[in-house]
Amino acid sequence: MSAGTPKSLASSGQKPIQEICHPLGAEETAPVLTPSPDVGNTTTSIRGKDLSLPNGTPVETSSPASSSSLLNRLQLDDDLEGETRDLFVTVDDPKKHVSTMETYITYKVTTKTTRVEFDLPEYSVRRRYQDFDWLRTKLEDTQPTHLIPPLPEKFVMKGVVDRFSEEFVETRRKALDKFLKRVADHPVLSFNEHFNAFLSAKDLNKKQGLALLSKMGESVKYVTGGYKLRSRPMEFAAMGDYLDMFTQKLGTIDRIAQRIIKEQSEYQVELRVYGPVYTTWALSEAELQEPLEGVASCVASCSNALDELTQDMSEDFLPVLREYVLYIDSMKIVLKKRDNIQAEYESKLEAAAFRKEERASATQVPTDVEKCHDRVECCNADLKSDWDRWQNNKRQDFRQLLTGMADHNIQYYEKCLAAWESVIPLLRDKQPQETETDED
Amino acid sequence: MADAGNKESATIGGDEFTNTELENNKNNTMVQEGSTLLRRMEISVAEAEKRTGKNTVNMQEIFTVYLIETRSIDAITEGHNPAPDSLWRRYSEFEILRNYLLVTYPFIVVPPLPEKRAEFVWHKLSADNMDPDFVERRRVGLENFLLRVASHSVLSNDKILYHFLTEEHRWKEVVYETGFQAKADSRIKALSATFRVKNPDKRFTEMKHYSDELQSLTSQLLRVRARVADRLYGVYKVHGNYGRVFSEWSALEKEMGDGLQSAGHHMDAYAASVDDILEEEEHYADQLKEYLFYAEALRAVCRKHELTQYELEMASSDLISKKQQREELATGMVRTFSFKGMTNKLFGQETPEQREAKLSLLEEQIVQGEETVTEKTVECEEYVKGAWVDMQRFKEQKDRDLREALIGYAIMQISMCKKGIQVWTNAKECFHKM
Repeated sequence: MSAGTPKSLASSGQKPIQEICHPLGAEETAPVLTPSPDVGNTTTSIRGKDLSLPNGTPVETSSPASSSSLLNRLQLDDDLEGETRDLFVTVDDPKKHVSTMETYITYKVTTKTTRVEFDLPEYSVRRRYQDFDWLRTKLEDTQPTHLIPPLPEKFVMKGVVDRFSEEFVETRRKALDKFLKRVADHPVLSFNEHFNAFLSAKDLNKKQGLALLSKMGESVKYVTGGYKLRSRPMEFAAMGDYLDMFTQKLGTIDRIAQRIIKEQSEYQVELRVYGPVYTTWALSEAELQEPLEGVASCVASCSNALDELTQDMSEDFLPVLREYVLYIDSMKIVLKKRDNIQAEYESKLEAAAFRKEERASATQVPTDVEKCHDRVECCNADLKSDWDRWQNNKRQDFRQLLTGMADHNIQYYEKCLAAWESVIPLLRDKQPQETETDED
Repeated sequence: MADAGNKESATIGGDEFTNTELENNKNNTMVQEGSTLLRRMEISVAEAEKRTGKNTVNMQEIFTVYLIETRSIDAITEGHNPAPDSLWRRYSEFEILRNYLLVTYPFIVVPPLPEKRAEFVWHKLSADNMDPDFVERRRVGLENFLLRVASHSVLSNDKILYHFLTEEHRWKEVVYETGFQAKADSRIKALSATFRVKNPDKRFTEMKHYSDELQSLTSQLLRVRARVADRLYGVYKVHGNYGRVFSEWSALEKEMGDGLQSAGHHMDAYAASVDDILEEEEHYADQLKEYLFYAEALRAVCRKHELTQYELEMASSDLISKKQQREELATGMVRTFSFKGMTNKLFGQETPEQREAKLSLLEEQIVQGEETVTEKTVECEEYVKGAWVDMQRFKEQKDRDLREALIGYAIMQISMCKKGIQVWTNAKECFHKM
């Protein structure tokens, strides 16, 4: 095979997803749905926005109020590329399990799909973190050339963080949900058999030991690999540079966000002292009692609003930011793997050429070298498409993250505004005349 | 500035007069009568300037002078537009004027001056007396002082005040000629003296208690507010770092770049906005400070009552004891134990001549004492009457002013919230475009 044509690996970015037949499309094609680029059927590509319920009623995804609760839970994103979706996964409903040996949390994983790879259209299973970890390892093993989304941190120091606190569990749940959604959105990973098993099997037959061994083997081979790379193609070098600089920026943003939270907390501490002074003063006054108490309650409202803002930022903003750093680390590992695959190929090619000279009978290129070559090409192609996908997701994720931050702040100011506006008539009460002099 | 000054005087002194109110006020000595100085004259502290000169120990110093401008209202209403008369005064001259008023009208709650040194500062605000913002706020405070004094039914008629406003030279000599300085010293002593009053006017005791509370509470409020301002400053300024990092990040990105860059600018604007917000809030702090110092003045009025009452009680008990002595001397009956009595018993009584001499001395003293008691009683009564009227006036003014201050503060907060919403909404739009 020449270098140009990829094998029938679904990940090749050659064919856009739109051209793949959607099960709900007007033209129902063969039930076997393969992501093979050879399927040239035209489809009516239904974009996320024009999704309709099984009974045909169109759904307005932009206003949650009118969506069905089902779609609400599945959190449809604003999808720029109009990718069709036939697999929806959600992680929720954390529950604590107490046994004699240990205590742990399980999460409900709900799947809704029309894919034929699944026997049923719906699944609901309970999984714990270990299971997610198993899945990720399996994905890394079986799809070594692909970027696997990261999991939230595995280890938490028992004394420092409460593993069973609401905040921790919720933060983790969100991250696990994100993980599964990213896998489900991936054109290759989502068809992985282990992913299928994870979503559908009653009990995961994990064979933990074996997986661990094989993981180590692969990682060692691809990450540390003994081959030296001659020259990295420009685009991959650029990716590496970008990741390094981006990591830096994320680190800075993390520090700034933490600093803001700290400053806001200290601001709040003062507010909690400030408000009560007005209340104390009110006790000494007659006519001014109500106005002073009004101001005191405003300050208290603002303080509460600030508390909520700080909490929202801690829970929604920081974890997502940190998780992206993990994502970047995964990406860097994939780049490194790619480098090693290329290096392996180059050195084998060199060795073969050398031997060829020796034997002086150049009949065919050794299959071993060819295999390496294929691997390089596949890897590069996979990486490129994964990179594009990653960039796109990153853009959406950060748009959502930063918009969320703006929203939280807007809500904070709106709460404070409401409090102060409501106290104005109270303050103005008993005035002989309305004075407009101070209005802006 | 003069016009704004007028408007300010309108609300500060409560001089928002409608015709009906004017009618009511004519019968009410509490509120400003039509004859206060401010009715006849426009007053403003228009400018501040730096000067150099020699001080009392002949050393070179830099100080600030303030331009007082006055215009006759009659001249204005008659259609002329005369240039204002003006003169320059230092802060220390204002202090002298106030001390004079305190001593001359002890039963009046005399308006305070703006603070001598910047206190209750939050970190960015300069504690330097030469700082232009401080000077500006002081100028406003001095104008406020003059307007309050000039609109007071009693204080505004004072000749020294008029002199202060209209004639630059020789004012100091004139005011010192009144001899107020000596009274000022004894006043200070009296204020800090401890003495027990047997029958204080309960209203004054309560008012003194209130003045203590007002002082303590406003001072506490100012301190905490300064800390709150400091923290708020920190929160806003840190957001400026977002501006920088978004800008750097946008250089790495293709499609996301523009949105990030614009959002960064909004974050910079957000961080910068806190300076104006807090500068405006200083006005609120100034209003609180005025009443912090007012509380002191109120306390002084109460203390003066106590002193007057005490003096009356002393004079009364002195008179009683003198009368008792006279009785004893006249009747020979010793009512109370005394060493004189004992020695008389032991060593023999005095001669009739001696007794006569003593008696007539006592008679004189009793007559004097009775005069004193009458004087003191009148003094006390008049003081109580005058002080009570002014304290009522003060109470109403305080309620009005502080209510206005709270409204102003609430409006400032509303404006701050609206600005915040605006900035974050703009940023959100930029994020959306990423």
